[in-house]
Amino acid sequence: MNFSLSDDHEALRASAQNFLDKEVDLSSLLVPGATVAKSGYDELWEKIAGMGWPGLIIPEAYGGLGMDYIDLVMIIGETGRTLAPAPLFGTLAGSWAILAGGSEEQKAALLGLVAAGETKLAFAIADSGGSYEPGADEVIANASGGEYILTGNRSFVVDAAAADKIIVAASLNGARRYFVVDRAAVAAELLEWRDITRQVASVRLEGAAAELLEGDAASVWPFVRNRLYLLLAAESAAGTQAALTDAVDYAKQRVAFGRPIGAFQAIKHQLAEIAGQAECAGAAVQYAAWTLSVDDPRATLAATMAQSYASEAYCNATYRNIQVFGAIGFTWEMKNHLFYKRARCNAELLGSPRQQREEVVSFLEREAA
Amino acid sequence: MTIFFVRQVGKVVHLVYGKSKQLEEQDSVMDFNFPAQDDPRRIEIREWFKNHPAPSGKQIAERGLAAANWPEPWGLSADPELMLIIEEEFARAGVIMPAVSNPIGVNQCGQSLLTWGTEEMRQELLPPTLSGEYLWCMLFSEPSGGSDLGALRTIARRDGDDFVINGQKIWNSAADRAQIGVVVVRTDSTAPKHKGLTQFVIDMNMPGITVRPIADMTGEENEYNEVFFEDVRVPASRMLGKEGDGWQITMEQLQTERQSMTKPGAVWGSGPSARELMNGLIQTGRIKDPLIRDEAAALYVEGELLRLLSMRHLSNKINGKPAGIEGNVGKMVASPHGQKMTDLAKRSQGVAGMVYNKDVLPLPPKHFGLFDNWDYAYWFSPATTLGVGTQEILKNTIAERVLGLPRDVDPTARVPFNEINKPNVKAA
Repeated sequence: MNFSLSDDHEALRASAQNFLDKEVDLSSLLVPGATVAKSGYDELWEKIAGMGWPGLIIPEAYGGLGMDYIDLVMIIGETGRTLAPAPLFGTLAGSWAILAGGSEEQKAALLGLVAAGETKLAFAIADSGGSYEPGADEVIANASGGEYILTGNRSFVVDAAAADKIIVAASLNGARRYFVVDRAAVAAELLEWRDITRQVASVRLEGAAAELLEGDAASVWPFVRNRLYLLLAAESAAGTQAALTDAVDYAKQRVAFGRPIGAFQAIKHQLAEIAGQAECAGAAVQYAAWTLSVDDPRATLAATMAQSYASEAYCNATYRNIQVFGAIGFTWEMKNHLFYKRARCNAELLGSPRQQREEVVSFLEREAA
Repeated sequence: MTIFFVRQVGKVVHLVYGKSKQLEEQDSVMDFNFPAQDDPRRIEIREWFKNHPAPSGKQIAERGLAAANWPEPWGLSADPELMLIIEEEFARAGVIMPAVSNPIGVNQCGQSLLTWGTEEMRQELLPPTLSGEYLWCMLFSEPSGGSDLGALRTIARRDGDDFVINGQKIWNSAADRAQIGVVVVRTDSTAPKHKGLTQFVIDMNMPGITVRPIADMTGEENEYNEVFFEDVRVPASRMLGKEGDGWQITMEQLQTERQSMTKPGAVWGSGPSARELMNGLIQTGRIKDPLIRDEAAALYVEGELLRLLSMRHLSNKINGKPAGIEGNVGKMVASPHGQKMTDLAKRSQGVAGMVYNKDVLPLPPKHFGLFDNWDYAYWFSPATTLGVGTQEILKNTIAERVLGLPRDVDPTARVPFNEINKPNVKAA
């Protein structure tokens, strides 16, 4: 029994912190009208690839570092805290899809390139309505000679524009399967995604040549979803703490009525509330990371709980952060809105917290039955 | 786990992180599993319960299980992991732990005797405390104020080998049943308010003490009392620490109490948790109501996170890490959590819940302590954000001590206590 972070975990987190504090610069985004194009997305990725992070969760057998999910959240916490703009989300999502659904040969071929920092990935599964389940708006796969051809649209694809290869969910003979498509074979159009520290695109496939992932297709989405829940929750928990720290620092400096505003209970009590939520969100992430690392039977529940709680806590914290700053926190020149927008987008990207709570109840109902 | 430091030319030192074969040999790996069923320490305790199926308080105390975390001869110097095993084995044997039946005595006051008491006091008072013969109470709050505890007015005046206490205390749990208690009183009115306080251990049957139960809004047997002191003589040998240590000792006791409240139980950590709420709603089919469903899920998640916070606190203690902020923060989250939970349990019943009814939702046969049904827990719940410091005081504490925000202004903090209310003296 041990629920504490080890010194090794702390050291890993500190190294990521040092690196990102030096490399992430959001100032180019604090010019009114800035878009993700100004974020330095590709430049930061080069440096991140140099750190070996693309191979973090890829097993050593495929050339990765083979780290577990507790290690992962040490780093994702820092990318979340700093809003590091880089295509890490897409590459991790794509890697997980290949890990769950690829054959041994496919894993060896694709994941080795990812781990080496030579290939960026994205995972395209949502339809234009944001649904992750097969529906009317499905991409259709057809066999054509020895390969497959995909036709249809995917939306809300994180890092599609930056990717080299995209893993696409599509219907083959009525069943959902997953395919690898070259980025060059699709048309990706950047969405005006409100969180300008993240690249999100819609993808149009018109007879795009595709390679079928030959493993167990049914396991792919649950496997990827749980891990993406953890990823977003880790970003959100760290972002909650960052928004709190930022607001506390400001409340200590800003003077009104002859006193720092942080001396007033109207401010104090709100920030104490956020401290409670930050603490709970951190615990949720730590537990979910552990359950995924040891393949615990409650991993799905733990990851779902973490995402529902942490994303709401992040929304609350970034809202409160702006309120503490007052009107200056409402301007584009301040970075407060970047966190506020990241929080809102994180709470919708994989379905709302309420949807995740529905998954929690359904899980418990099945357990009780 | 090994960390390789790699120095990149001209750059800061980065870490490349890999795993080596040492992984299995190290014990610092995170593991949320509880101590195993075949843990030898567990087997030993389980054997003892097998041989003592209905142990007396004295037997429990003599085995060192009443306060196992204490040093010998009182306890077993148990680490937090063994404490967890003992807690689980008590539950398994269906025996209520002394720390649950007499929490004030075992957790707060007993601990204070270890830290601040004389050897004579320990020898006299600890054996009957650990065996459950002595039930304790804490006498802190006064009618003039509970949040501003430092402004208390009960006075103790030295008279030979005794101190003579006059004044009144209120909101004292168990004072009507306790044989013994701690009281914080003012021994120096010329000192600033927090500095002139001292704690004494008193026998509740000392002449001049009158205890009056307070009928609270639940209509159940009283939880609280008021206690009047009229020329109560306490021997100076019953002083905890020295004159003027009273504030520090009181804060320690409250801190210990708050720490123990970071649990998912509905009322200060005891009573049913959101797991029982969820099970009850599923069993009764009320979970199908979409308005109940989402709230129940949110409460379930929050309850599980409180559970994790308490486990992490325990784990940090095992690993010798400094205490986190979980103690205060946990209580701040736990009290409204319990209120929301009992409220939902009640609302799931609709109008039928407005009739006295202990069977709001089905509960498994399990020790939930005093608050063993949703009805009582619900009607009691307004008190949970008042007791052991109001929610507002707790938020101040967290904002000031944890977040480092500026202290609230107290114009009376540095003034001699006896000058605070003089109209012509301006508070500094």
